[in-house]
Amino acid sequence: MDRVSLLDGFGPAAIPPEAEALRPAIKAFLADWVGTWPPHRRARTWTAFDRGFSRELGRRGWLGLTLPKHYGGAGLDAFARFVVVEELLAAGAPVAAHWIGDRQSAPLLLRYGTEAQRLAFLPQICRGETVFCIGMSEPNAGSDLASVRSRATPNAAGWLLTGSKIWTTYAHEADYMIALVRTSGTADDRQAGLSQFIIDLSLPGIAKKSIRLGTGDSDFSEVHFDNVQLPAEALVGVAGNGWAQVNAELAFERSGPERIYSSLVLLDLWISHLQDRNDDEDLTTVGLLLARLAALRAVSVSIAARLAAGEAPTIEAAMFKDLGTSLEQAIPVAIADAVGSRPDRPVDPELLRTLAYLMQLSQVFSLRGGTREILRGMIARGLGLR
Amino acid sequence: MTDAILIESFQRLLADAAPVSDLRTAKTGLPACWTKIEASGYLDALLPEALGGAGLSLDEIEPLVCAMGAGLLPAPVAETMVARLWSAQAGLPMAPGMAVVLAPASAIIPLAGHATHALVPRGARFEFVRLEPSAADPFHAGAGVVAHTCPVIGSIPAGNIDLLAAAAALLSARMAGAMSKILTMSIEYANAREQFGRPLGKFQAVQHNLAIMAEEVLSARSASRIGLAGPSFDALRSAAAKARVSEAAQTVCSLAHAVHGAIGVTSEHDLHLYTTRLMQGRIAFGSERYWGQRLGAARLDERSGTSADFIRARLQNSR
Repeated sequence: MDRVSLLDGFGPAAIPPEAEALRPAIKAFLADWVGTWPPHRRARTWTAFDRGFSRELGRRGWLGLTLPKHYGGAGLDAFARFVVVEELLAAGAPVAAHWIGDRQSAPLLLRYGTEAQRLAFLPQICRGETVFCIGMSEPNAGSDLASVRSRATPNAAGWLLTGSKIWTTYAHEADYMIALVRTSGTADDRQAGLSQFIIDLSLPGIAKKSIRLGTGDSDFSEVHFDNVQLPAEALVGVAGNGWAQVNAELAFERSGPERIYSSLVLLDLWISHLQDRNDDEDLTTVGLLLARLAALRAVSVSIAARLAAGEAPTIEAAMFKDLGTSLEQAIPVAIADAVGSRPDRPVDPELLRTLAYLMQLSQVFSLRGGTREILRGMIARGLGLR
Repeated sequence: MTDAILIESFQRLLADAAPVSDLRTAKTGLPACWTKIEASGYLDALLPEALGGAGLSLDEIEPLVCAMGAGLLPAPVAETMVARLWSAQAGLPMAPGMAVVLAPASAIIPLAGHATHALVPRGARFEFVRLEPSAADPFHAGAGVVAHTCPVIGSIPAGNIDLLAAAAALLSARMAGAMSKILTMSIEYANAREQFGRPLGKFQAVQHNLAIMAEEVLSARSASRIGLAGPSFDALRSAAAKARVSEAAQTVCSLAHAVHGAIGVTSEHDLHLYTTRLMQGRIAFGSERYWGQRLGAARLDERSGTSADFIRARLQNSR
């Protein structure tokens, strides 16, 4: 097989009927909950934090869908989660409070956690009661993740943690952080000597501060650890195996519908304003964006199928994320051009407000979850370029 | 899904009967490989087994059509498969030796220079016309046009078949296959060709261009599957497929030539054989602007639901 055979892994995949069966109920629930919200509010979707909403999802059984039932999950497959997540994002629901726990922390603990950790945390995540964040970037380590300097040193009581994390999504609201820190060697040792810890953010010695963005929102935080005493059981998985564990999560983080739907509320709002004043150029813009979206949705379903089969299509997920975030960024760019192309026509204030928000936030789409430049380097290696 | 054995044996047939290197010296007209392909039985792939065919569905022939694109097959095999199906369904099976292109209104008809007949829409029927030599293809890629004076030899009812949609979906799959192939060629070239004392593939700028190329190929292939995923051809599925594939083709061609440098545009190198056909394919059977407009109009006609709902209902299988 040639080197591009990785492209052949995308067989056509269809969402099975039992997963599709979840769709009407979640749609009806969302119509009641967020249906009346103004679009600029719904456009925030996976950056909007609402503990009450997440608890309600948990109560209705829509969190932890892929987790085993004895941990509080639904025991369903990746397709079930795909359907629910797709509906949440398309509606513009405020998912940030459960987002990290449901998408990443729970699968990580299921795979690498001890039985005690699973029993302690998974049911809480499934109920939407506990908010997780992921501590990766540091003030001097962002894209170069292997150069993290935060350090946990073993002591009689467990581990003593000192260091800082930054750009952590909603750490200032979260209950727990799963952090990648150094447990042996120095930053020069790169990927070796890194470990993951589950950190109770209420412990003494932890200072959290939100970072205010130009949009007026505060989605990110910085967190400082000053001699924080962690119990021995805070270690997740094997000491020194943190890099491999973190990488195993990436296909989950990069392949979901959230990498194609972040600008969907804006697109649909714009389309609703086109209903009675369309012109050919606008129709073409809509059609070309939908063609890209349709192709990518099929890729996402196909990756979900491979994840369900226990594979870790990391390179494919990187390709999907770069394509998807490029599309999410192209939507506000195209709509801004269309809206500004007729200076004689008034622009709906709500459309302008939603557009202004996404024109700003969309710059982040190709930064969060691995920058575009890092992804392209990974993809090139996957293609056999050295 | 088509099984791997079927695809592999088809690829072997193509490589044996019609190697890409033959294209450089190929004249127009039915290629020599046609006899072997006809004898192989693949032309009746879509016919129900009861009518002597293999009973494959459109999604099952998609990998075969991609392989035709990857191998730059100079014969309208996919189009003839479809014409044979429609003819058989109309109770008028096609005579052997007919190599048919689908010829809806189009700026240019790819492969017309290598076909014996064309299927042309006329009112509520499709007419089979015998092709006559037409003006040379300005792309030197075996395309042509169908003159109004071509003699009609028969016809079948058009029913609800959108001939342009069918032609566009088949062309999209061929183009996606050709794009996969030039990605492989570009990666191999970048690893082999050295500049400044190291392979091109070690330069980050080149790596990123190839990553973008691979992404576009992935997206185009996904779109081409949408075009051939339904039980029969569908204008909206074709719209998504041809719009996306045409848009991607431009990027893929540019980047492939950038990686290859000047050798890629010379007659001695295969690359230009692929890229001229991709450039021509972009223009044929509706470019991305044409199909984008049709898809956009359909979305605006559907007032309820999100764009995600629209895509799921109209473009994707949620079986």
